[in-house]
Amino acid sequence: MESRILQLITALRASGVRVSLAESSEAFSAVDLMGIQDREHFRLSLRSTLIKDVRDLPVFDKLFPLFFGQGQPPMMGGNPMDDMTPEEAQTLANALRQFTDQLRQRMERLMNGEPLTKSELEALAQMVGLNQTDDLRYQNWMAQRMMRALAFPEVQEALRELMEQLQQMGMNKERVEQLRELVQQNLQGMQEQINQFAGQRIAENLSEQKPNENIDGLMNRPFNALSDADKKLLQREVKRLAAMLRTRIALRQKRAKSGQLDPKATIRANLKYQGVPMEIKYRDRVRKPKLVVICDISTSMRFCSELMLSFLFALQGQVRKTNAFAFIDHLEYISDEFTGSNADEAIASVLWHMPSGYYNTDLGWSLNDFNNEYMDTLNGQTTLIVVGDGRNNYNDPRLDIFSLMSRRAARTIWLNPEPPYLWHGDSDMPKYAALCSNVLKVSNLKELTEAVDQLLSG
Amino acid sequence: MTNSFASTDSVKSALSAQKYIASDEIATIVYLAQKLEKPLLTEGPAGVGKTELAKAIAGATGRELIRLQCYEGLDESKALYEWEYSKQLLYTQLLRDKLNDTLGKADSLAEAADRLANEEDIFFSDRFLLQRPLLRAILCDAPTVLLIDEIDRADAEFEAFLLEVLSDFQVSVPELGTLTAKYKPFVVLTSNNTRELSEALKRRCLYLFIDYPSLEEELAVVRLKVPELNPKLARQAVEFVQKLRKTDMRKSPSISETLDWANALVSLNAKNIDKETLEDTISVLLKHEADLQKAKRQIINPPPPPTSRPRPDDFGRFSGN
Repeated sequence: MESRILQLITALRASGVRVSLAESSEAFSAVDLMGIQDREHFRLSLRSTLIKDVRDLPVFDKLFPLFFGQGQPPMMGGNPMDDMTPEEAQTLANALRQFTDQLRQRMERLMNGEPLTKSELEALAQMVGLNQTDDLRYQNWMAQRMMRALAFPEVQEALRELMEQLQQMGMNKERVEQLRELVQQNLQGMQEQINQFAGQRIAENLSEQKPNENIDGLMNRPFNALSDADKKLLQREVKRLAAMLRTRIALRQKRAKSGQLDPKATIRANLKYQGVPMEIKYRDRVRKPKLVVICDISTSMRFCSELMLSFLFALQGQVRKTNAFAFIDHLEYISDEFTGSNADEAIASVLWHMPSGYYNTDLGWSLNDFNNEYMDTLNGQTTLIVVGDGRNNYNDPRLDIFSLMSRRAARTIWLNPEPPYLWHGDSDMPKYAALCSNVLKVSNLKELTEAVDQLLSG
Repeated sequence: MTNSFASTDSVKSALSAQKYIASDEIATIVYLAQKLEKPLLTEGPAGVGKTELAKAIAGATGRELIRLQCYEGLDESKALYEWEYSKQLLYTQLLRDKLNDTLGKADSLAEAADRLANEEDIFFSDRFLLQRPLLRAILCDAPTVLLIDEIDRADAEFEAFLLEVLSDFQVSVPELGTLTAKYKPFVVLTSNNTRELSEALKRRCLYLFIDYPSLEEELAVVRLKVPELNPKLARQAVEFVQKLRKTDMRKSPSISETLDWANALVSLNAKNIDKETLEDTISVLLKHEADLQKAKRQIINPPPPPTSRPRPDDFGRFSGN
């Protein structure tokens, strides 16, 4: 039992749920307390101790039955042969004779209602590569592959034929219908069995996965060399880094408190000393930056922008106001999407309604959009951040608008994944760079973290 | 009246005696929290009865409910303790004579200072400590229920400060040392999920997510809290609210709003939920102008069902030219 719970915890971790050591030991004490007789109590004791986020609840609900399922093979419909008259059995045998051996064996098996044995399942798993799968999203697909390996479609087709045949050979129509239903049930039972097996095996694979340790390596790897799995890993890392930055920045902002004398607050604070000014109060000078962010989310830049946005919205408390825009060939205001607490979903939704095309990035036109509608978001207190590679596909860069923007904003910072020696071809970067107060190269997460840190503390 | 629950079933019955209908899930987790002496973090949409749960637990166990409402800028001096400066000052004034007695006989300044030093503990003692909710919950002579409401509104720093209280049930007051709880309070934290809470805080709590109730559960709540409403009308009302929740609203009506509405229906003496009653009372359920308009458009005066013939532009889009 204990090892099973541990496996569940590892599987949870592998699917991206953070479970700390304290929480897992907590889960054990909860289980000790509530016992394991009542499955529902058992489930709730695990869930309330291990899962601390609504978004992780579905993961738990999916994994729990896989580790603590009922355990018995699914119900088979039963054996229709049992109550067959000898004549009927004869007809059936005759009808079966026309199929190939393999198909016949499979069909007979279904009619007998025998579930698959453990070794057969293992063999199937080997065949479709189930043992290498460690993502629950592939459960259905794997199950389907296993069924196909068992020639399920053909067997089903053959069964249909068989039933017709039986009817033609003069078997009672009701009996045929009965037979069909039984076989159908057996078939479903087997499907269920395969599906369950696939789910359990994947869950077990998940629980055997080694925790990833090469996060430092990933921090230094360029964005364009990251695989999808790496990206998932990095997203998690971004959250952790953001939390770290948040506390750091909060502390720094607090320390920068020495401002002007605040007479009102001083008088109020010192009423308790009969008006003798013992405590001097100062006006707080917490300078939270106001940001306007323009992100290129075309294919080449997407990942960088994505991480940048998750960063900024994780840091929301430390920023007075963020107006975020995304562009490919035109500009869109995306801050509205980020009002909830979940940045991942917000980013997904932005990417969903702004799909990228081919070579259609047009910053010039997007700047024009900005000029028409949003120029008033820039003022003397705002920092303008552009995340992009400045590759404009030979469109007009609209430097006039950009210079206006950078004059209106307090600071203009450009985050570019490309180092200066690559700024040629369709890159308008040299022209834009002249107008920026700072151009930072961010080609991996480490540089991005440093850039954000610098941004918010400056 | 007992101070704790004996089993999950007793949680359920005790809570329902407080007019709180707890699902199996809520009852089990509340029982678990009490047994493990862990804080209970409840999350869920606004108005599903998170705060109410804490009140019901307090009522059911006969403990005192101490409530700390969080808001941005909440700090130690408002949540934990503060020295009562004015009282200290008043005491020094009143005790001036006594001080003169004590100090008068001193020969030198150093001796006077020494004597004063012997007495100064008085001025930083419990006597002048103004207890705020957290300290009160810890120092209370009987077990209490501590409700930390809407923790997501407080700053991240405050959250960090709470950690000591939540894991060890003790607080450090620099002048007095560490104060440990005589009776561990039953702590309930609520959050509306407007921002993500820190891992450290979550780790110390049991987690309970309360969602909108099912039709039957909500009906039971309405019947319990507004018994005057006739059963048929109550069912209609709850069905309507559930339907509203399914549509995309800026703010879905919560249970408390359903109850307000039920009360409104009772006081208006409504016999039936017809179009007129709805139009008069729907503002009790929906608090956004946009939502109101939408509900009026879609539910109260639904447009005639669209004809099934495909519109020409749909056709054009999929025909491949």
